[in-house]
Amino acid sequence: MASEGTGSSFVFLQLFTTGSGSIYSFATFIAFLGPLAGIILGFDAVSNERTLGTLNRLASQPIYRDAIINAKFLAGATVIVLIVFTLGIYVSAVGLMMIGVPPGVEEVLRIAAFLVLSAVYIAVWLAFALLFSVLCRHAATAALACITIWLFLSLFMSLFASGIAGALFPLDGIEGVSNLMSNYQLELALNRISPYYLFSEAASTILNPSVRSIGIVTMSSIQGAVVGTLPFTQSLLLVWPHLVVMAALAAAGFAAAYIRFMRQEIRA
Amino acid sequence: MIGYRIRRARRLVCRLLVLATVLSMLFSLSAGASAGGFEMGTSYPGQVMRPGDELDFTLEFYNTLGYGFTAALTASDIPSGWTGRFEGNGSEISSVYVHSGEEASTATFHVEVPDDAAQGTYTINLRAAGQGGSSSLALTLEVNEEASGSSALTTEYAEQQGSAGTAFTFSSTIQNNSADSQTYSFSSNPPAGWMVAIAPSGESTQVSSVTVEAHSTQGLDITVTPPENVEAGTYTIPLSVVSASESLSEELSVEITGSYALQLSTPSGLLSFDANANKQTAVTISVTNTGNVDLQNINLSSSAPDSWTVEFSESSISVLEAGATQELTAYVTPSDEAISGDYVVTMTASSDETSSAAEFRVSVKTETIWGIVGILLLVGVGACLWYVFRTYGRR
Repeated sequence: MASEGTGSSFVFLQLFTTGSGSIYSFATFIAFLGPLAGIILGFDAVSNERTLGTLNRLASQPIYRDAIINAKFLAGATVIVLIVFTLGIYVSAVGLMMIGVPPGVEEVLRIAAFLVLSAVYIAVWLAFALLFSVLCRHAATAALACITIWLFLSLFMSLFASGIAGALFPLDGIEGVSNLMSNYQLELALNRISPYYLFSEAASTILNPSVRSIGIVTMSSIQGAVVGTLPFTQSLLLVWPHLVVMAALAAAGFAAAYIRFMRQEIRA
Repeated sequence: MIGYRIRRARRLVCRLLVLATVLSMLFSLSAGASAGGFEMGTSYPGQVMRPGDELDFTLEFYNTLGYGFTAALTASDIPSGWTGRFEGNGSEISSVYVHSGEEASTATFHVEVPDDAAQGTYTINLRAAGQGGSSSLALTLEVNEEASGSSALTTEYAEQQGSAGTAFTFSSTIQNNSADSQTYSFSSNPPAGWMVAIAPSGESTQVSSVTVEAHSTQGLDITVTPPENVEAGTYTIPLSVVSASESLSEELSVEITGSYALQLSTPSGLLSFDANANKQTAVTISVTNTGNVDLQNINLSSSAPDSWTVEFSESSISVLEAGATQELTAYVTPSDEAISGDYVVTMTASSDETSSAAEFRVSVKTETIWGIVGILLLVGVGACLWYVFRTYGRR
């Protein structure tokens, strides 16, 4: 029981979670720079066509108009899936050559789940970028708007969350102790607005079997607990809400872009 | 004239004196002849013997005749089958030189009693005759069949005590006092479930019979193994040893002391189960009395993480007989704050005398209902998209 229980036996998963001082781990790399890939694929998808005047010609072809916006999103999503899985399999292959330890079924499932999660995460940003490319007349505006949102949600959201939580539930003084729980809960809730935070949480849970809970763990939860790892299905259940939220975000972003595009006057 | 008379008187006195001296010498001689002479004797002329015994009588010859002579030795009335011979210096002799003096000459009369000698009193007459006269000596030998004829089975420490699970070893000895070698076969009648193994002393081979030479002994190691779930108490194992002509018996007694032991487990032995946070899970547990004494008032208790609840279908068992198993149901409800993964819950069954605890590994699972809710949400999002396509698409 102990041999499979310790985290050290999941050597292969550490390929994706181990970083050094100068190089990010694979998971951090996807979380931070993955959005850029999504933004690049989507920010000028419609506005560039419009600027170049090719959208009119495209729309005059005997195709339905929604095929244009569908194709823009599906093409980007396909490229994202290709990028993510190519990178993941490539890292796995290099790791296999370097360490010579084949991954177990559990590890393969976890890596696959992580790669799906990464693809959905980047697709969220693709949907955002596509929405801005529909909304903004100029590609540069769309790009700037996307990058601003990305920087804010990735870098500043945690500062913003802790600031608001600290202002509403101060931790100083006597009442700080009683505010501790509310403060942390609010900060966590605000952080979870950011897809970046959602993805980081989900990735660390799916890639580290010894993570047993997402969110607040009280002393009464830990008391009597045995150190061990979760089976894959349990880890997946833990991150399932994250996956659902991100998929819903991507769908919502695309739906907004779709509605906006369909109602736009193209031939003008 | 007067001088002649004096001379005659002196002669008379002298003659009287000589006569007195001779008389006194004669008296003294006659006195020495009646107390002295030649005699054969032994310290203990009457002895008790067993059949098969050998015995040496030390014969002493007293000679006060003043001269030594050779005396021939004869023995008569030796019962048929008996052996009797004179020995000196370890070898058989037929005569002895009896020298004169205070110190006695010695010889030995050796008697061997046959194995089948009948009970009774036997007399052997010895006679020594030579130049100085003859002397007779009657040896009275009583052969005691009562003490010797019956064989015996004896056991050292025939009553032993120990806890259940102990193998008791008795050291017994068969003594064959009969005249023939006998083959003794064993039979024991232990209580049901008991095992009795008999092996010759110092050997590991179990035997059902042994042959014991006449007038010799055979040691036996008798190993008595009580059954696993024997109850406390005193048990008697009759052991009989039967040969063609004899029947010996012995009773071995074993007192099993009480031992108290409990075991708490599950019927399958599996000490792990799955549970959901804040959901009651029923687990069947079994309490077994593995001792040999009935246990009273067994209480069930548990040690679980905070705000977990563990309830038992019966909080105590009033009587659990030795070897009996009782199954109970434990209802375990993890705390609503329990997170996914393993927890330890210890359940304990205890009576006044003993207790047993089992550690259960409880795997708390996240309920799959939330996974289904997530899928429903995704379906909902998909439906919204489809609605969007239907409403705005295909223009």
